[in-house]
Amino acid sequence: MSTQERLELLQGTLDLLILRTLIFGPRHGQGIARAIQETSADELLVEHGALYPALQRLESRQWISARWGVSDNNRRARFYTLTRAGRQQLLNETNKWRRLAAAIGRVLGPETEA
Amino acid sequence: MSFGRKPADFNAEIESHIELEADRLRQQGMTAEAARLAARRAFGNVTAAEERYYESSRWAWFDGLLRNFVFGLRTLVKSPGFSAVTILTLALGIGATTAIFSLMNAILLRNLPVRQPSELVLFGDGRAAGDTTALPNDDWRLFSYDMLHQFQRRTRVFSDVAAVRSTPFGTHGSVASGAQMEKIGVELVSGNYFQALGVNPALGRVLNPSDDLAPGAHPVAVASYSWWQRRLSRSPTAAGTKVNIAGTMYSIVGVAAPGFQGISVGQAPDLWVPLAMEKQISPGWTGLDNVLFQSLYIVARLSPGVTLAQAGANTNLVFEQIVHQYAGPKATLKDLEQISHAHIQLTSAAAGLSRLRRQVATPLKILMAVVVAVLLIACANVANLLLARAGVRRREFALRMSIGATRSRLVRQLLVESSLLGLAGGGLGVFLAWGASTLLVLMVSAGPDPLPLNVAPDLSVLGFALAVTMLTVILFGTVPALRGTRVDLSSSLKESRGIAGTSARNRLARSLVVAQVALSLTLVAGAGLFLRVLSNLEHIDTGFDRNHVLVVNVDAGSAGYQDDARLHRTMLRLEDRVSAVPGVQAAGFALTVFAQGGWGADVTVPGHTASDSDPDVDHNRVGVGYLRAMRMPILLGRDFSSRDTLGSPDVAIINETFARTFFPGISPLGRTFSIANGWPNLQVIGVVRDAKYISLQEKPYAAAFYPYAQHPGFLENLVVRYTGDPGPLVRRIRQATAEIDPNLPIADFMPLGQMVNASVQSRRVVAKLCTLFAILAVLLASIGIYGVLSYAISRRTNEFGIRMALGAVRRDVLWMVLRDTLGLLAIGVVAGVAMALACGRFVESLVYGVRPDDPVAIAIAVLLMTAVGLFAGWLPARRATRIDPMRALRYE
Repeated sequence: MSTQERLELLQGTLDLLILRTLIFGPRHGQGIARAIQETSADELLVEHGALYPALQRLESRQWISARWGVSDNNRRARFYTLTRAGRQQLLNETNKWRRLAAAIGRVLGPETEA
Repeated sequence: MSFGRKPADFNAEIESHIELEADRLRQQGMTAEAARLAARRAFGNVTAAEERYYESSRWAWFDGLLRNFVFGLRTLVKSPGFSAVTILTLALGIGATTAIFSLMNAILLRNLPVRQPSELVLFGDGRAAGDTTALPNDDWRLFSYDMLHQFQRRTRVFSDVAAVRSTPFGTHGSVASGAQMEKIGVELVSGNYFQALGVNPALGRVLNPSDDLAPGAHPVAVASYSWWQRRLSRSPTAAGTKVNIAGTMYSIVGVAAPGFQGISVGQAPDLWVPLAMEKQISPGWTGLDNVLFQSLYIVARLSPGVTLAQAGANTNLVFEQIVHQYAGPKATLKDLEQISHAHIQLTSAAAGLSRLRRQVATPLKILMAVVVAVLLIACANVANLLLARAGVRRREFALRMSIGATRSRLVRQLLVESSLLGLAGGGLGVFLAWGASTLLVLMVSAGPDPLPLNVAPDLSVLGFALAVTMLTVILFGTVPALRGTRVDLSSSLKESRGIAGTSARNRLARSLVVAQVALSLTLVAGAGLFLRVLSNLEHIDTGFDRNHVLVVNVDAGSAGYQDDARLHRTMLRLEDRVSAVPGVQAAGFALTVFAQGGWGADVTVPGHTASDSDPDVDHNRVGVGYLRAMRMPILLGRDFSSRDTLGSPDVAIINETFARTFFPGISPLGRTFSIANGWPNLQVIGVVRDAKYISLQEKPYAAAFYPYAQHPGFLENLVVRYTGDPGPLVRRIRQATAEIDPNLPIADFMPLGQMVNASVQSRRVVAKLCTLFAILAVLLASIGIYGVLSYAISRRTNEFGIRMALGAVRRDVLWMVLRDTLGLLAIGVVAGVAMALACGRFVESLVYGVRPDDPVAIAIAVLLMTAVGLFAGWLPARRATRIDPMRALRYE
C-alpha cells in the first residue's frame, strides 16, 4: 500500500487517537505514532512532525503528563502518561466520535459497492 | 507544562524520536544510513515542527515584541530628524496637557493628606467667609462657637465635629526672643481639629480638646511643617519656642505632619491656634460668647456606615432645634418664617475647600480644552508624518511581505514604532510639564508669594500622562499603520513613477490638515476673545483713579491695640501725620479698598419698599481723606470733614446707584436711612460717583460710606495718594508711623493699580496661555500644511515636468499648487469659524463679559490663519516652479 492511499486524519481526531493509544500505559512519541499506524492496519497516516505539537497541546491542557525515561532499546525518550482528566476527556470524545460516525453512517445510507 | 519547557528540550525529544524510528527500520533490515534518512522523511519538516512549537509557547509574543522594539529603535535612530520632530511635537502636546492637569490635580482633584478623607464632610458649601450675626434663614455656611458645641453634643452621625475660622489671619509677631515683627499666618481651629482630621504631629504634639476650653487661657500653637522648616530650620527642639503675637506669648507645642496645610487648598497657615484665643488673635472681630457670631466652618467626620443623606437629615434636625432656641420664645412671625428656610447642605470635604478652586476651576477647564486641541493638532501632524513615511517605506514593506512577513506582523511593528515615539514624547512631556506647572503656579499667583501648591508629578499625574500618551499613540499611529501596510505587492515593487495608492493617502492627509486649520483657527479666535475681554476689563472705568495710590497695610491688632479710644486716636494721628508727608496729597483709612471683599447688608429707607430687584448694598467705613485719595468725585453735597465726630449726627455719603434706587426723583441730601440690624438714622450729606468696589466685572452696587470717626474700630488699609516718585515715600511713611508708635507693623505697600491688575490675574493667565497655545497650534498646523504640500509636490514632480515641457509657465504651476493650498485653507477656515462660534457660545456661558461672535477676534483669526497657511503652501509651491523639466522627467 502506497502512502498516497492512506487516509488523511480529520482535524481534531489526532488528539483522540493519542489519548486512546496511551490507555495501555506510558509511551514515547515514536511509539505512539507507530501504534496508531499499526492498530489502524496502516490505514491512517500520521505525519510524525504533526504529532509533537499535538502532544504539546495535550500536555498543556494536562490531559497527559510527560517524563524523560529510557526506551526498550536503551535510548533516552520522553514518555507520555494519561492523566485522570485525560481519561475523562477520552471517554467524552470517544462517545462523541461514535455518535458522529453513526449519524454520518445513517445519512450516507447502506454500504454499496461502487 | 509547556510554560517552563525549553526549546532545546523539545529538540532533544524530536532527535530521540528520529533515532527510535531509525532503530526500528534497521531492525527491519535497512542499512543505518538509509534508516536514518527514512526516519527523517517520515517525520517531515523538523524545522516546521520546531517553529510550530515555538509559536505556541507563551513567550513568542513577548519575544516578537522585543524584536519589534529593538528593530523599531534602530529604524528611529536611523532617521533622527524625523524622530526628533515627532518626539518634540508629541512632547509639546503631552507636556502642555499634563501641566494643566497637574494644576487641576493640585487644586481640584487631590484629596487632603488626612486619614480617610472620603469620610470628611463640610457643613455648607464653603462659599462664604467672614462673619455674620443674622439668624440662619437660608442655606447656611458659617457657624458660631456655640453652634459647634451643640453639634458636637447633639449629633449622632459623626465621630468628630471640628471647626476652623473661615478667614485666616495674616498677623504679625516676633519669634523666640527676636525683636523683629514678622508676618505670621494664623488659623484658629477647635481643639479637636487635628484629632478629627487624623493629622499626627511630626514633632511634639498637636492640639487636643483640652487646649480649647476657657477663652484666653490657652496660649499654645501648632506649627506647620513648612514653617518649621523655613523659620525654625527644622530644629528638633522647636517645641517650647515662644511666639509673641499682639502681646500674648504663645508656646509652640508641636509641628503638624508634613504636607498638611489645613483644609483650604491654596492657603497655608504658619500656626494653628485654639479658637479659645480668638479675642487675642483677632481683637477687632470677635464673639466667642455671642451665639449668633457666626464665623466658623464646621468640618465633621462621618461615623462608619453613615451615609451623607442620613448625616444631613440628623444635622438639619439638630440645626432646626438650635435655630429655634436662638430665636427664643418671643420670636416674631416674620422671624419664624425666615428661620424655616434655614438649612445645612453637607458637602464632601475629601479634597478640602478652596476659594481658589472656585476662582480657577473655569479657567482651568477652558485651558484644558485648549491644550487638548493643541494635542490633537500635534497628533494630526505626527499622523501626517507617519503617513508620509509609510509612503516612502512602501518598497521596504512590499519587500518584507514578499519574503514572508505577514501584514499583521508589519502593523504590529509600526505600532511598536509609534509607541516608542509616544513614550519618548510622553517622557519628555512629563519633564516639560513639571517645569511648566511650577511656572503656571507663579503665573496664577496674583501676589508676590507663589501659591502654596504642590505640583510635582505624583502617581495620578504620571498615570494621566501615560493614558494621554497611549491615547495619542492610538490616535496618530493606528491609521498610518493600517494604511501604510495595505501594499499591493507586484505594483509596489515595480512602482517607480506611478501615483497609484497615493490618492487615498492624500485624502486622509488633507482631511487632517483641514482639521488642523479649523482647530487652530478656533484657538486663535478664542485667544482673541479672551484678550479683548481682558483689555476691556483693564480699560473699564473703575470710578476711581488707580494711579499714584499706595495702599498701606497697618496691622494695629498685632501691636497689641484693643478696640478702644487709644486705637482711635492713633488712627486719626497717623492719617494726619502721613498726610503731612511731602509728596502725599491725601490719606485715609478704609475697611476695604478694591477687590478685598465687601461688607454687605440690607438698608431700610423710609418711604422705600424693599424689592428683590434692588441692587446689593456695599458699605465701607472710611477716613476723611479716603474719597479724595481714591479720586472718587463728590457730585452733590459735601465730603466728610473733621467736624463729623462722635458728638455730631451720623452722616453717610452714597453713590449714584444708591441715590437712584432708594431716593428716586428727589434730592437725597438730608434724607436718612438705616442699616438693617445695624446703625440707625444715617443722614446723607453727599453723593459720590459710582465705582467698582469688589471686582472689575461686577454689576453696579449701591454703595454707602461712613466716617470711622463716628464708628470707631480696626481699619487696616491706609490709602495714600501721592505725586512724584513712590520710592522715598515708602521710607517716609515708615518714619511717620514710627514717630507715632515704633511698634506699629506696616506689612505691605501695595500700589492700587497692581491690586486692580491682580484682580483679573486668572483671566490674564488664561488669555496669555491661550495666545501662547494658539500660536503653537498655528505653527503646528502650518508645519502640517507644508509637509502635506511638499509631499504632494514631490509626488507630482514628474507631472510638473511634463506640463512645463509642454509649455506651462512657472506662474501656472505656482497657481496650481497655491490653488490646492487655498482649497484646504478655505474648508478649514469655514469649519474653524463655525467651531469658534460654537465654542464662543459655550465660553460665554462660563465667563462673564465674553461676546461669542466678536467680529474683530474672528476676523483676525481668519486673516492670520490664511496668511500663515498661504506662506506654508507658498514655500513648496515655489520649489515646484523651480523644477527643471529635463530633470523632472528623469525623476526617480
